[in-house]
Amino acid sequence: MAEFDKQHLKLVFKIVFYGPALSGKTTNLMQLHTLLAPERKGELMVLETKDDRTLFFDLLPIGFRSGSGLDLRLKLYTVPGQVQHDSTRKAVLSRADGVVFVADSQHSQQHNNASTFENLDQNLQKVGIDIAQIPLAIQFNKRDLTDIIEEAALHQRWQATPWPPVIMASAIRGQGVLETFQLLLRRLYVQINPRYGLADRFQIDEATFVALLSRADTETGDVGL
Amino acid sequence: MLDFDEEVALTELLTPDQLDRLENLLSTLAGCELSLVSAPTVEEQATPVDFNLDTVGWVQGSAPAATRSAAADLAAFLTYFVTKYRWAANLHRNTTETTYQALQQQNIALRHSEKQLQVLADSLQQRVNQQVEVIQAAQQELYESARLRAVGQLAAGVAHEINNPIGFIRSNLGVARDYVAELAEALPADHRLDSTLTDFQALLQESLTGAQRIAAIVADLKTFSSIDQADYSDCSVNALIEATIHLVQTNQATPLPIETRLTSLPPLHGHAARLSQAIYNVLDNAAKAIDTAGVIRVESGSDEHGQILIHVMDTGGGVPGDIQDRVFDPFFTTRPVGSGTGLGLTVARDTVQAHQGRIRLESAPGKGTRVSIVLPTGRSEP
Repeated sequence: MAEFDKQHLKLVFKIVFYGPALSGKTTNLMQLHTLLAPERKGELMVLETKDDRTLFFDLLPIGFRSGSGLDLRLKLYTVPGQVQHDSTRKAVLSRADGVVFVADSQHSQQHNNASTFENLDQNLQKVGIDIAQIPLAIQFNKRDLTDIIEEAALHQRWQATPWPPVIMASAIRGQGVLETFQLLLRRLYVQINPRYGLADRFQIDEATFVALLSRADTETGDVGL
Repeated sequence: MLDFDEEVALTELLTPDQLDRLENLLSTLAGCELSLVSAPTVEEQATPVDFNLDTVGWVQGSAPAATRSAAADLAAFLTYFVTKYRWAANLHRNTTETTYQALQQQNIALRHSEKQLQVLADSLQQRVNQQVEVIQAAQQELYESARLRAVGQLAAGVAHEINNPIGFIRSNLGVARDYVAELAEALPADHRLDSTLTDFQALLQESLTGAQRIAAIVADLKTFSSIDQADYSDCSVNALIEATIHLVQTNQATPLPIETRLTSLPPLHGHAARLSQAIYNVLDNAAKAIDTAGVIRVESGSDEHGQILIHVMDTGGGVPGDIQDRVFDPFFTTRPVGSGTGLGLTVARDTVQAHQGRIRLESAPGKGTRVSIVLPTGRSEP
């Protein structure tokens, strides 16, 4: 559920990076923090970790002010992947406007991928969101490793779902991270444009929306701290 | 409370004391008065404190812009860590509470099912106890009936062994009596042994009567235990009744007043020994019920369906109404411990039922008791 402050024309969306433990959700966010140069970019907050595992969540706020006066922001969150932190996952997932599912490409992790995707479906239901309705992008991470499922097999497997194409990524090398994020942005735009009149009222079309939020780091953005 | 979804304001993030302290520190560093406010009152003397793309407060004062800006950055730097701590703490508290509530619900459910299990365990224990009682009773019954059978076999064995000697004793005594008579005739009329011979004859007669009585008892014992019969055979119920009455009489110090009215009966295919035992048990009860003044009456007859009816009536004390239902229960007895097994009528009932018959006890306390036995012969009269 986006927050829209009509007085200040401030619009905030919540994107959640979901996936099994150690699939690379935080790495995605760190890469986005490095790669992205949106007009406005906050500090990446890593709340607390233990042995490289997220305990609470990570947060990266980004945004832009359009010439038409809209103050649009995205809050990018990760959830803890470990099974025992389900309450935290549910709390972070509540009121989400979009989800990036970061799966692990290794053969040994396919069962974890499946059960975490099921867990996503269940938790979305619990916080009143339909998985078929929410903008969702799927990424298969760790393509740099050896014992991984073939790309063709993954495309084939996800063909019948509402979510192809699945994006191949190696977050640790910065590959596929932006592509995944951009796919999510396009899907998000399709849904929020009619509701908030981004094109009609604020003259922001899809290409502008994606470009403003995911432009690469060639200029200096507002780095905050 | 500060949830991670909510907007942050510096004045809410820090307590008034902490705000004062921060203002004093910033003022000391800046070398002039600086204040932290949620909205600027003098715009040209205020610098925003930005955190996560939001302005969370303002640093206001007459210090140079660069100094104000550094102070604002310092405040933002602090905000970063305070916010981080608060978010983590609150999220941790919320998830812990949620988990705790879920655990409590599970605990309640567990207690409930534990209670149900306890009830189930109790009822199972009760059933086990009942079954143990049934098994114990059955065991005792089995033991008693085995004992009765052993006694019956012993009696039959004794009867068989006595039968031959008593036969020649009777026969010899008869011959001896005749010899004494011949001797008396052969002697002269005035011999001196006249009184001795007379006495001798009386002794022999008395012994002969005694021997005949022994023979009768042996015959009754044989009938009673049916030593000569196969387990199931055609038997005369009246003969069984008479033999049993004789046996009961021999157990008494003074003969019992037993009246019989037996009418001709069709033969019954049955287990003679067990039927005798059943009749004996009923009669034995009647014998114990009557005082010296009482009378026992035994009747037999048959009806048009070919059923044999046996009634044993006494004028004894009767059975109180509240225990009439229990007289057929195993080990139920009103007599003192040691004087009865409480199995008499139980055995009688089991035997009658094994012959597809019925047994019924009617009693009027103080007046007497009537036990009725109905035994089907399977033969209808034309």
